[in-house]
Amino acid sequence: MGTGGTKDTTPLVRSSSGGSEKAPTLQERITASKGLILRIAFGGIATVVAVFLLYLAGYVGLYDLDYALSLLPPRGRALTTGLLATLGFMTVVMPLGFGLGFFFGWARTSKVWLGRAVATTYVELFRGMPPIVLIAFAVLITIVVFRGNDRIDLFAFASLAGVVALAAHSGAYQAEIIRAGILSVPTGQTEAAEAIGMSKATILRHVTLPQMFRVSLPALGNEFASLIKDTSLLSTIGGLELTFQGKNLSAVLAVGGGNLDLVIIIWVEIALLYFLITFVVSRTLQAVERRFRVPGLEAAQL
Amino acid sequence: MISVRNVHKWFGELHVLKGVSLDVKKGEALVIIGPSGSGKSTLLRCMNLLVSPDEGDILIDGVRVNDPKIRPEWVRQQVGMVFQSFNLFTHLTALQNVVIGLTKVKRLSSTEAERIARFELERVGLADKADAYPAQLSGGQQQRVAIGRALALNPKAVLFDEPTSALDPEYIREVLDVMTKLANEGMTMVVVTHEMGFAQNVGDRVLFMADGIVVEEGTPEEIFERPQQDRTKTFVGTILG
Ligand SMILES: Nc1ncnc2c1ncn2[C@@H]1O[C@H](COP(=O)(O)OP(=O)(O)OP(=O)(O)O)[C@@H](O)[C@H]1O
Ligand SMILES: [Mg+2]
Repeated sequence: MGTGGTKDTTPLVRSSSGGSEKAPTLQERITASKGLILRIAFGGIATVVAVFLLYLAGYVGLYDLDYALSLLPPRGRALTTGLLATLGFMTVVMPLGFGLGFFFGWARTSKVWLGRAVATTYVELFRGMPPIVLIAFAVLITIVVFRGNDRIDLFAFASLAGVVALAAHSGAYQAEIIRAGILSVPTGQTEAAEAIGMSKATILRHVTLPQMFRVSLPALGNEFASLIKDTSLLSTIGGLELTFQGKNLSAVLAVGGGNLDLVIIIWVEIALLYFLITFVVSRTLQAVERRFRVPGLEAAQL
Repeated sequence: MISVRNVHKWFGELHVLKGVSLDVKKGEALVIIGPSGSGKSTLLRCMNLLVSPDEGDILIDGVRVNDPKIRPEWVRQQVGMVFQSFNLFTHLTALQNVVIGLTKVKRLSSTEAERIARFELERVGLADKADAYPAQLSGGQQQRVAIGRALALNPKAVLFDEPTSALDPEYIREVLDVMTKLANEGMTMVVVTHEMGFAQNVGDRVLFMADGIVVEEGTPEEIFERPQQDRTKTFVGTILG
């Protein structure tokens, strides 16, 4: 395959390897990508709602989560609690981080000076500090601001602030990934789109977005994977997630005279749980990536 | 049909167009030649408002279009453009490249759009490549799809900016053939090109630009065989070899 479209003297040779099935029509393609995006969005929202309802039901006393968990053996109880907390954090941190990343990444490519300035400040600020420091600041600021206000649950507010800080940190990285994706779409194509009378919004939706994701998705997958593991930093502010449970259990066991075998088993179980979550997320992203693949344009040619 | 009146354009300090005026008549093929950097592309881009003139006017059928009251998107539907580097949408098939302007700009139904798009691909001789992606097409085929994409919106005129310059020699012919056919069908065209054969056989008029001004204008014979200005003589000498 030649290096550029212009030098390609063997059209269609490569494509025939995938059989000669009919390419989907534009409408089918749009519907299909809409379908997929809707499905993922729906899955995400359903998870958030489910986790929320679970907590809410426990909160208003419909059932007693602690009681339900206490029916499990101690280790299972701790790990289940941790898993629920980690999933709960993920359902907030991932969509929020992506939303921030998408918005600021797009703003970074804006022609408007102010938009670029604000976005650049955001990226530099939140990328420039370790997430654990950001979480600490967010919590401290929340405590200072809301201290003494009896009507709110200070602990819940502080935790939420920590979660948002983590999302903002990841959003800063994702903004750069999104920006790189947007810039990877040749200006010739946006110009050609303008030349057939497309509006800015139509160009963004139908020319830039479908192509930028081809470039951005692998890097976004990386960022999500590391974000999942970064939720463990929330244990520093009392998030009872997986890593915290691991440390807690090990400590209890150590105090109780030490059963090293059990400690090892616990950490293996925790590792497997993280692996499982990350695996599911990365497979999902790979499915999305396949959707944005373009026949004849292999990754090496980008 | 398209009138350019005393247009000036600056890029920062650089004065690229220094008072260009010209008229494109309905149904004619106007060829523009000139050395690199003389402002040919900028002039074409002014005609569909991809670049907005700093001074002067662009008129389409007598209507001044470089006017804040007129949407540039509307103007660009009237005046199509074909680029040197094709600029096809790489994530769409040949057919979808032609369809997208019809559905997303003209808001036609997808069946209607597809019918028109297939007709346009037929017209540029690529009916059998409808489902191929740009990366699976040769340069010449890509450029013909790009021409089909411009034609699909049924523009009043089409601007060609060096449409064969990025092509390997063996693909130039097929693109020029399509353009010749278009000219014979009476399409109004403005073509920046250094293909002398095309300029002489298809061009109704040739315009020589240098340094941001129109130096000389005339029939192909006048410009290529009896140029009046020294600069035209030198330039024509170099390109005719
Ligand atoms: N967007 C821009 N910003 C700044 N300078 C520009 C821009 N577009 C063109 N120029 C400059 O304007 C001058 C004229 O450019 P233009 O592309 O119109 O020339 P041209 O006659 O088409 O040349 P060529 O034959 O190389 O295509 C060049 O010096 C070019 O560098
Ligand atoms: Mg040019």
